[in-house]
Amino acid sequence: MTDGRRRAWLLIASFGASAALLKPVQDRVDARFRQPSTVLDVLYFGSPRVARALALGYNSLLADVYWMRSIQYYGRRDEAARRPVRYGNLVALLEITTELDPDLLDAYRFGGVFLAEPEPAGAGRPDQAIELLDRGIVRHPLEWRLYFDKGFTYFWFVKDYAKAAEAWLAASRLPTAPNWMEALAAMSLSRGGAVETARALWERQDQESNRQDVKKNARNHLISLRVDEDRWTLEFFVERYRKKFGAWPARLADLVRVGLLKYVPHDPSDTPYLYDPATGEVRLSPATGVLYLKIPYDYRAAFMEKLARAFGPN
Amino acid sequence: MRVLAIARNTFRENIRDKVLYNLVLFALLMIVSSLALGQLTLGHTDKVIVDLGLSSISMIGTLIAIFIGISLVSKELERRTVYALLAKPVHRWEFILGKFLGLAFTLTVNVVIMTAGLILTLACHGVGAGSCLRLLPAVYLILLSLGLTTALALVFSTFSTPALSALFTFFLWVIGHFNGDLLELGRLVESAVFLRLCRVLYYVLPNFSNFSVIDSRNVIQSAAYYRPIDPWGVAWATAYGLVYGSLLLGIAIAVFSRRDFK
Amino acid sequence: MAVIEIESLTKDFEVGFWRKRSVRALDGLSLEVARGEVFGFLGPNGAGKTTTLKLLMSLIRPTAGSARILGEPVDSVAMRRRIGYLPENPYFYDYLTGEELLAYVGSLFGIRPPMLDRKVGELLQTVGLADARRLQLRKYSKGMVQRIGIAQAILNNPEVVFLDEPMSGLDPLGRREVREVIASLRSRGVTVFFSSHILPDVEALCDRVAILDKGKLREVGALDAILNVKIEGHEIILARISSALRARLGELCDRITPLGDRVAVRAATARQVEAIVSAAVAAGAELVSVNPIRRSLEDYFFKEVEA
Repeated sequence: MTDGRRRAWLLIASFGASAALLKPVQDRVDARFRQPSTVLDVLYFGSPRVARALALGYNSLLADVYWMRSIQYYGRRDEAARRPVRYGNLVALLEITTELDPDLLDAYRFGGVFLAEPEPAGAGRPDQAIELLDRGIVRHPLEWRLYFDKGFTYFWFVKDYAKAAEAWLAASRLPTAPNWMEALAAMSLSRGGAVETARALWERQDQESNRQDVKKNARNHLISLRVDEDRWTLEFFVERYRKKFGAWPARLADLVRVGLLKYVPHDPSDTPYLYDPATGEVRLSPATGVLYLKIPYDYRAAFMEKLARAFGPN
Repeated sequence: MRVLAIARNTFRENIRDKVLYNLVLFALLMIVSSLALGQLTLGHTDKVIVDLGLSSISMIGTLIAIFIGISLVSKELERRTVYALLAKPVHRWEFILGKFLGLAFTLTVNVVIMTAGLILTLACHGVGAGSCLRLLPAVYLILLSLGLTTALALVFSTFSTPALSALFTFFLWVIGHFNGDLLELGRLVESAVFLRLCRVLYYVLPNFSNFSVIDSRNVIQSAAYYRPIDPWGVAWATAYGLVYGSLLLGIAIAVFSRRDFK
Repeated sequence: MAVIEIESLTKDFEVGFWRKRSVRALDGLSLEVARGEVFGFLGPNGAGKTTTLKLLMSLIRPTAGSARILGEPVDSVAMRRRIGYLPENPYFYDYLTGEELLAYVGSLFGIRPPMLDRKVGELLQTVGLADARRLQLRKYSKGMVQRIGIAQAILNNPEVVFLDEPMSGLDPLGRREVREVIASLRSRGVTVFFSSHILPDVEALCDRVAILDKGKLREVGALDAILNVKIEGHEIILARISSALRARLGELCDRITPLGDRVAVRAATARQVEAIVSAAVAAGAELVSVNPIRRSLEDYFFKEVEA
């Protein structure tokens, strides 16, 4: 083989070897430092003020970057494995975003929802959500949506119905506020905890938000409400069965057989509910496609009462 | 006019520099890619296009201003082309002014090209002409800051090596965005002397935030939300640019006039 | 009238980084150049020739003394309309083409397009670069650069032309061309001031020379005067020499140099010349040449200056 030829083969061989080694080495590196997604956990800036100072006039662009990071940080929830993911850095990311660009309304609203949502849907820190929304309100005192979000957080996650009403009332006084705002405030003052208010809130949010992720979250809540009601309805009739026949039914289908139910409902993802004949409990199947968001307070008793009234003592 | 002849020649030199094309190409690439990046914000694509576009124009423009600016004089000295030139009936101040105007014109042409790219990208995304026009004051302010950066680089070019000039110019450009913080720092520390020092520095150092913040609003951000920028703010920024710029050119001319060309 | 007047011109340079020493590159130079002269400025490297030219072009400032060109001080910008300058090892904007460079220089003189194009064309012809006019300067050979340099120096029809080492780096053909240009300038009455360390060129062209060494002026005057042209003898070259003639030559002269199949002998006096020639003719040898030996500038340098 001539010198030139030999050199060419050597080059090809070394290139091939390097290319083959690339993937294993990278995988090894990743395995050592766990996931590639940890880069999202790095803030780079210690505080919003530092970020603003170091922006060198490119605040708006940097705000966009941090906004994107916030969305991706939140979006990296591992749906398949249902591993609870923590959102410890979400507030910092959003604070930096809004410090750099205080006019990014969506950032305040996004934070208002997903900072307050308990895990696994959010960071579980309604206090941070309210703080963020307050900063937004200072900057945009005429933006009714921020007040709406604030009241929402107070109502749903902090359960402070007075403060919720306060926020919604302040919103209703703004020139641009929609006319259902006052009614909402009134509802909050009259009977906090009613399922109807809760349902109304989530429906409002689904309707008036234009962000897909916020809408999806609201719908998840509405679906979870339905799941609870389905379960408790089934448990109600299972109890009725027991009272009538002296034992828990063997299967939910038995309720239909004896005429207590017209049909056995499936969950909103069309998965059958799990029934435990030993205890009479009805649960969501682990195979379900529903993302169940637990309702912060217990209105099972109130619901059962309503069912009792509806279906009579029989 | 001789100044224009020198300016035209400087422009010709810059235009024939391949590095320039690469930088402008990069900026245009950034602008086009912002279309894709914008999708990541789930709904703010317009804002991202403008932010990324104007920021790219500003950053690339600054790079060009610094890297060509620092060699405006030093290259002529190093290559000895200045010898033949100054033996002609040319005043030394005409030389400096001509060099500055040449690079300023180059930058203007580049910025116009990049802005056209940006507007085209926005138009593809459905943004109307009226909104696109709102970008122009921001572009003008970016140009002003580029002019100041060029003048800074030119001053260093008259007496320093390219490496040091680049360092100093970049350093001053960075510091020039912190002027406000400098004043605040002066107020924090409990020392009258330090406060004095900070205040003096505040005026002496080039204040680039005059061009990036008008009426407490960041200029690029205003453009991204298609908000109008106060014309008086723009006028005063222009005034500052002219005053500080002529100061810098004066220094450059003074240094250059006294120089021996070994 | 003197077109160039230099009076006690002195230049010190500071060298060294920490402890600055003063180096005197030029020490009290005084001389005058009259209109129409071709003046040669000579000296070994480091003598101060380029320093002098830079001082004249106001590229550097004198430590002491003064100079005037065409009656004006050297920093007068108006005066520069009437002079031309070619720097040593010139370098011009390499991204420009030949004609672009000349057009640029012309615009600095205020010459406008229709006349400018004509002038540029003429000049390119004169220096023999008409074919390379659209070629970028970075592709020019050293000789071509030198020629475009001369072109830009004479573009404005100057009254005085300053050339710093105009022949450096040129091949014999190039050197001859430059010599022709200088000669034609002289015939047009242009004063030429040029520095060189290539002595034969100076010998051929100059009316007067100044000799500089280590910053000081050694001699100035007409070339003939400096070299005090004294014929020191003759050199005779013979061919077809018989051994008998060789022996005879050995008696007649003290130096016989063999040159291949020829021989060169030195004859100190006219009588010796006569004797050698007749001896050669009588022996049937061939008389190739008889040349007078003159002390040259080179000898002067090696003897006087290096001393």
